Amino acid sequence: MDVRAQIVMVFNLDKCIGCHTCSISCKNIWTDRKGAEYMWWNNVETKPGVGYPRQWEDQERFKGGWVVDGKKLKLKAMGKGPTLANMFFQPNMPKIEDYYEPFDFDYGNLAGAKESKDQPVAEAFSQISGKKIEEIQGGPNWDDDLSGSQVYAAKDLNLKDKKVIESYDSMFMQYLPRICNHCLNPACVASCPSRALYKRGEDGIVLVDQEVCKGWRFCTSACPYKKVYFNWSTGKAEKCIFCYPRVEGGQCNACAHSCVGRIRYVGVLLYDADAVEAAALKGDAELVEAHRDVILDPRDPEVCRQAKENGISDQWLDAAAASPVYALVKEFRVALPLHPEFRTLPMAYYIPSLSPVLSTWGDTHKLLEHGMIPALETLRVPIGYLASLLSGGNHAVIEEALKKLIAIRVRMRAENLGLPADPELLADAGLDEAAAKRLYRLFTIAGYNERNVIPPQQREENDPEKRRQEGGFGILKKTRRGGK
Amino acid sequence: MLNDLIFIALPYAALALVLLVTPYRFLSNRLTWSAYSTQFLERKVLYWGINPWHYGILPILLAHVLGFAFPGFFKGFLGNQQTLFATESVLFGLGAFAFFGVLLLLLRRVNSGMLKRVTFSSDWLVLYLLAFQAGTGIYIGYFMRWGSQWYLHTAVPYLWSIVSFRPQIEYVADLPLVFKLHAACAFLIVAVLPFTKLVHMLYLPVDFLKDPPLLYRWRSK
Repeated sequence: MDVRAQIVMVFNLDKCIGCHTCSISCKNIWTDRKGAEYMWWNNVETKPGVGYPRQWEDQERFKGGWVVDGKKLKLKAMGKGPTLANMFFQPNMPKIEDYYEPFDFDYGNLAGAKESKDQPVAEAFSQISGKKIEEIQGGPNWDDDLSGSQVYAAKDLNLKDKKVIESYDSMFMQYLPRICNHCLNPACVASCPSRALYKRGEDGIVLVDQEVCKGWRFCTSACPYKKVYFNWSTGKAEKCIFCYPRVEGGQCNACAHSCVGRIRYVGVLLYDADAVEAAALKGDAELVEAHRDVILDPRDPEVCRQAKENGISDQWLDAAAASPVYALVKEFRVALPLHPEFRTLPMAYYIPSLSPVLSTWGDTHKLLEHGMIPALETLRVPIGYLASLLSGGNHAVIEEALKKLIAIRVRMRAENLGLPADPELLADAGLDEAAAKRLYRLFTIAGYNERNVIPPQQREENDPEKRRQEGGFGILKKTRRGGK
Repeated sequence: MLNDLIFIALPYAALALVLLVTPYRFLSNRLTWSAYSTQFLERKVLYWGINPWHYGILPILLAHVLGFAFPGFFKGFLGNQQTLFATESVLFGLGAFAFFGVLLLLLRRVNSGMLKRVTFSSDWLVLYLLAFQAGTGIYIGYFMRWGSQWYLHTAVPYLWSIVSFRPQIEYVADLPLVFKLHAACAFLIVAVLPFTKLVHMLYLPVDFLKDPPLLYRWRSK
């Protein structure tokens, strides 16, 4: 057992209202720069939808993530020899059109236009070529709220039965906020020939060393979530840095901090680094359980002893024990990994959404069985859809989580209205009274310090002079290209 | 005069620059050590340009270097008429392939609006030098036959005289002008190498071949 700590985010999809505040705060802090205009380290997608970049989930095209080859894992794209041979032209790399051509508006024209019969307008121009764009072709949330669209939503690879979105009786919509998952088995790190990408041992944050990155571009396609971006100006890869300058000081990430719906939880997980590869080798349907098995119980004295041996401080162990992430992922088993079948062991977890909390039309009497909350079988969102997104196709995993969410809603609704509580309800869902109360608290009224339990790293006490010029983002020095 | 410039002044200036500036750049500004890929912005023409260029020019560059390093071996190896003919044909084909590639890369920079923002004077300089070098190379290959053989008897002893600091330009002084231009351009390319994106060829990623797939960095370990 090799105990390590990882800082992890959980998203409660039931509460996401798709306001993009997270994306904006991230953009303002980290990617408001030349070469990074098109990058959204945090983005919010409408599901069903094609997402950003378009159809990022299509690994037949981008060849991201890992596949099982006999008893070993290998990168889906290519091995090391072909990596050398494809250095000049990387065949799977997404192109700018897969994201969108970044644009701004010529506001100067509003005041500076020549006198004419028509009102001047602020015309769109490309932030790359500087040329006027007659018709904007895409944006970071181009299919926002178009969950019934035949052009976008119907191309969602998770949506097996396209008929669902054709009718008002059965269509559904949810939001999916995404950051870099800071995986336990990151394909981007493995794909880099320069070894510029690395995972930090202390907290598991995955970074790109800008001094080492030579711009070979294999990481951009190896990441199955398309969360490593190519900066067209500096010629280097960049990605979400989990706001490490904030997190190291005990503050939570900008995206989580600014979240209007308070859907995000940040905390520490302890995991067994020796068990990661075996977990990634499991069959698709067993992957969620394998994820949970890799995560260790922070209250187990043996785990704590080995953690201390590995240099994890008491402060971190306390944070791990109080971690809302541990509660949601392992203890109550409601938070699930996004596309575990990519086999990178992503360390961002999602509580599946009941949204819309409606049954399909015509099942109103069933709906009423549970008060206003529909039973699991009548939910609009197809279990298969969520299973394709969050459990490698395993329906039982999704049903278990949704049952708990429904039971808590019904239980708390009854309590608020002074109705008699159904004693069977919680037990059927695998919860007890204390668990229901804890989850209810986390989902609703938990404050900042309950949702985010982030131990500071006290780097100032740990040879700070050795880490000068470390960085995972942007370029602080002048690159001296074109004198700008 | 021209001979002194091309065969004495230029090579020593180029050597001095590449030997002094390259380590300085490596130590002082590794951030710019990149080929500045533009595949993200334009990939269709790039595919037909960059692959022919690299796969054509790398074996040819290697042939030049090996001929310089082991002239004795190659004199014997190319002594046979059939081997010489086959070698010349293969190298000429690769040269034409590379020339085709670099021409496409040049035209691509001219034609793509997206690329204007990432194209600087050093990019033009490098592309023109490389196109000129590949062009004169295949001209020499075609009109001055059996170059792989006479290269070993003229340019190679001359280059050895340069690196041993006893320049003997009589080995190459009477060769045709196109050869002199080819040599001058070669020295220019070496001279601009540390100042341009050409430095990317001095970094070959091989460590990752033996490394485990995942890389961890610890502050404390």
